Amino acid sequence: MGVRQVGKVEYGNERSVVPNTINGAGLARDEGPPAVELCDIHKSYGTVEVLHGVSLTVRQGEHVVIFGPSGSGKSTMLRVMNLLEVPQSGSVKAFGVEYGSARGNGVVRGTALQLRRTVGMVFQQFNLFPHLTAIENIVLPLRKVKGLSRKDAEARAADGLQSVGLRKWAAHYPGELSGGQQQRVAIARALSLDPRVMLFDEPTSALDAEVVGEVLIVMRKLAEMGMTMVIVTHELNFAREVGDLNVFIEHGVIVESGNRNIYDSPVSERTHRFLRAVL
Amino acid sequence: MIGSTIYNWSLIWTYHGQLLDGLFVALKVALTALVLSVAAGLVLAVWRMARPPISWPAALYINIFRGIPALVSAIWVYFGWSLVLGIKLTVYQAAVVALVLLYSAYLSEIFRAALLAIARGQREAGLALGIRRRQVFVRVIIPQAARIALPNIGSMLIGMVKDTSTFMVIGLVEVVYVSENIVNATFEPFVIYTAAAALYIFVAFIIDFVFRVLESAVGGRASGRMAMLLTARRRRRLERLAQGGSDVAEIYEPLGAV
Repeated sequence: MGVRQVGKVEYGNERSVVPNTINGAGLARDEGPPAVELCDIHKSYGTVEVLHGVSLTVRQGEHVVIFGPSGSGKSTMLRVMNLLEVPQSGSVKAFGVEYGSARGNGVVRGTALQLRRTVGMVFQQFNLFPHLTAIENIVLPLRKVKGLSRKDAEARAADGLQSVGLRKWAAHYPGELSGGQQQRVAIARALSLDPRVMLFDEPTSALDAEVVGEVLIVMRKLAEMGMTMVIVTHELNFAREVGDLNVFIEHGVIVESGNRNIYDSPVSERTHRFLRAVL
Repeated sequence: MIGSTIYNWSLIWTYHGQLLDGLFVALKVALTALVLSVAAGLVLAVWRMARPPISWPAALYINIFRGIPALVSAIWVYFGWSLVLGIKLTVYQAAVVALVLLYSAYLSEIFRAALLAIARGQREAGLALGIRRRQVFVRVIIPQAARIALPNIGSMLIGMVKDTSTFMVIGLVEVVYVSENIVNATFEPFVIYTAAAALYIFVAFIIDFVFRVLESAVGGRASGRMAMLLTARRRRRLERLAQGGSDVAEIYEPLGAV
């Protein structure tokens, strides 16, 4: 009680019973109300299970970093949080509403659409709509999701572009922008819908080294403003800076999680090995 | 006598009204059929992309109707349906239906290829933003697929216009039907059919031009004078919105932030 649960919870399989360590001062972290809760998530593609019953609680205002080797299931875990991947079993909760397969008495259930209107996402490949200009990329969801008029949506989208320093580029198509600019437009697009949580799926992995910084600046500002963020990243220096809860995942299992000390003094031998290889 | 024949080219002018009437009928049939075929082709494409047992009827339809010549289709619809099914269509209706049966099958394969060419991330991005599935399809996937499919749709339309020429057998008063009548009165087949061929070629050039303009006007930055003209208003509005922007990122307080 009072200790936040990370990794395996009461029911589940043997494989995920791992060093489920709360690292050091992690115990003393502020405990806000939960934003997104994954509980015992199992996800398979065909016959291959890639998530073996992971559980994670993201609290409001918290910045959670998920890291681990490629193929470890970290992106899949993130994508479960807005049901782009539908898990075979387990509970996905956001702000007290159940979206997963779990059933219970008196549980309020929501649809994937409602979940996605609460949780914004930024992709590794930006995924801007190439047939629309930067500003139209933001206007479209504002109109379709928020139901704004074209005039209101355009004013709002222009502000959104200004917020990432790209208003001048409003009438340009994604193909005419640099990778860093595209990712900033993508962030502005997700933010314009007032999400309560932002998911970042390796937001800088597809970028040239010299533009990684401009995207991280925007993300850092967002973090400073108290946005709840879940970030899958290889930028461990950035993670060390913003990560309130840092989760190391390998082979579809959460190996270790904790505060920033995890990067300097990991408890698990596997975390240690991974960090030594990448840092 | 070969070599000394004098062709009476002025006949083309004499009969230009009839020839153009025939062309008008051909275009009316082809364009009506195009609109219906695009709609039906899109449904067939999506249907065929469904899971196997569900997709089978679509696959069967496509493979049957891609294999039937327009002439056979027209006779089958006009005479066959009325004899066997008691469905009596006018010549015009039968011509349109005959074309739609064939070209919806062709177009569905063009659409399927275009839809498959759109990266998965596009759909995911739309869904992740909380846009409804149908809207993602209509606003995100279709416009991008359209740009890929447009050149092929243009080719199909040219094919449809040409295929109307076989519909003289069911009595459609199109270019060849008209030409045949004029030849019977003038005994100048070479002149009249040259004129008919010229009309088809002319139409092909026009269709090519229109589809090129459409292609460069949708799905990205417009290029070419006509496409620029078509998109000028939208471009000006967007450029106005870009004014007054600075390069400084000023992240505002998101409403959802705690």
